[in-house]
Amino acid sequence: MGRDWIITKRHLGIVLFLTGAVGFGGVLLLDLLRGGAGDFGPTQRLALVGCVGLALLGLSLIPYGNRPA
Amino acid sequence: MNISESPPTSSTIFQPSWLTWASRMALWTALILMVFHFVVYGVYALSLLTFPFDYDQGEGFELNDTILLSQGQSPYRDNEAFPFYASNYPPLYHVILIPFAWLFGAQYWYGRLIGFTATLITGGAIAYAVYRETRHRPVSLLAGMAFFASNYIYHIGPLFRQHISMVMLETLAVVVIASLDRLDTPENTRARRRIIRLSLLLLLMAGFTKQLAIITCGAVLGWLLLRGVKRAILYSVGFGFIAGGIFLLINLSTEGQWWINIIAANVNGYIMSQFTGLLSQFVGLHGAILIPSLLLVLYELYVDRLSVYSVWFVAAAVGSALAGKWGAGDSYFATLIAATCVLAGIFTGRSLRRGWRVPSRLQVIGGRLGAMAAPLIGLSALCLFCLYGLAVFKIHLDQPLMNTLAGILKLQSNTKFSQFYDGAGWTMGYATIGQIPSPQDTANGWQIVALVKDDPRPILSEEAAFSFRSGKPVITNPTQLLNLYNNGLYDPAALVKMVEAQAFGAVIFRARFYPPPILEAVDRAYKVQAIIPMNGYEYTILIPNPEWNPR
Repeated sequence: MGRDWIITKRHLGIVLFLTGAVGFGGVLLLDLLRGGAGDFGPTQRLALVGCVGLALLGLSLIPYGNRPA
Repeated sequence: MNISESPPTSSTIFQPSWLTWASRMALWTALILMVFHFVVYGVYALSLLTFPFDYDQGEGFELNDTILLSQGQSPYRDNEAFPFYASNYPPLYHVILIPFAWLFGAQYWYGRLIGFTATLITGGAIAYAVYRETRHRPVSLLAGMAFFASNYIYHIGPLFRQHISMVMLETLAVVVIASLDRLDTPENTRARRRIIRLSLLLLLMAGFTKQLAIITCGAVLGWLLLRGVKRAILYSVGFGFIAGGIFLLINLSTEGQWWINIIAANVNGYIMSQFTGLLSQFVGLHGAILIPSLLLVLYELYVDRLSVYSVWFVAAAVGSALAGKWGAGDSYFATLIAATCVLAGIFTGRSLRRGWRVPSRLQVIGGRLGAMAAPLIGLSALCLFCLYGLAVFKIHLDQPLMNTLAGILKLQSNTKFSQFYDGAGWTMGYATIGQIPSPQDTANGWQIVALVKDDPRPILSEEAAFSFRSGKPVITNPTQLLNLYNNGLYDPAALVKMVEAQAFGAVIFRARFYPPPILEAVDRAYKVQAIIPMNGYEYTILIPNPEWNPR
């Protein structure tokens, strides 16, 4: 096998940030599609907090650049 | 960021005698606590070997799966046809037990012995993993024994259940693949391939022991992805192809019953309060060793490279959310406990060995404080192991020496069993087991058998043991029928018809797990003959009601 592509801290950070951001949007969108806008339950709130946490974790990793994850 | 690669020199190694003494004291205290927990666990495991009935609801159905497979029959059957029975678990654990079934027939001891042995192997693998990373023998031993000390592992370890064998295979797979980093040179290509293939084989076995292993599969393949994208994709495709192929083959050979019974039947309702209760209990019991584990994950995330143990820990933590599923429980944390023990052990051993690689910006903290930081952290980690040993405290109040110790500590039963103290308390999903069955429990079990065995008709029992012990076929797996019924995949008409025809000599309920139409039919056509307690549960024995006109 030739030279393989290694995931760096920056890559991991971007993936985690995007996952958190997409998850955050997805929870809101799902609520909107189900017609429950403004009627947030505790599980949905927990999911939003988790997504924000994941996105922040991802952001904090991006400055670490090309160091291998 | 620059990382110091150089080992500590003699000028940087400074450790006052009080710190050495305190560390030794903490290590010995933690080890003594772990040895105590191991004794409690061993006594419990050995006691269960001789108990001839279901100790945990569901054990008998796993025994039935073993017996069916040993007779060359499939346990993945149509639940709507007599005997209305199917297994909801993959077969590997039961396949391993086939030689025992051939030699000893329908007995519980061999399944429980394999479960207990699986925990010993898992603890050994954890100890080996910690030793390989830290070269600290006592801490390795501590980490391995911390696994047995957990109330959750104590519960499920010595049962005739497949879960802990899955955890063993997962742990072995992770420990095997963790050695990949040590072989990161071109001349080790073949060794690397062997290690990856062995790890994936163990994961495949774990997956065909219990479906939940898919979380560890994801963790290992995800970690491989971090180490090399192309290689990970190739192995993932190969692994998916083989696992999917076996899955499809079994599904085809069982005419779709495999899918219905191990996938569709396991899609159950989610009880958030069950998960939050279990999570709170889990953190209360294991919080002390979760702290060093989390610190090591953060260290690897920001300072070092992520190890497979850290990725496994995070994946297992996310996967533990499934503990809120109806029918799930504390055992769903078992994989996370194994990962926690590995990380906590590595953290502690590395601290005591001063094995941290400190970022250059932190190296400005010089002098004695800087030199003492690692051993001080190690001492704190050992104290956390001691706290863990106290948090998971449980004891049998009717065993020699243990009852004396319980008397000195003024401990009384806080469970539904007068002879068992469990520091975990109780929450929904936490199995109400852990006590040693009394001779009275065994006698009561035989009393139930005596009540039902003389009638030539089969019995409808929520536990298979009474069918085995009375020489009758095992009819139904009640929770399986309920799961399928709740998902609209089971029509109980044929079984209801048999109940209404009083085709069963007796019905035995423990928790009325059957779908409502079956319970209603039993209530119409049968009447209570006796209620007999066993292992803290009341077994209701019903016999055909002479006032009912069988249809």
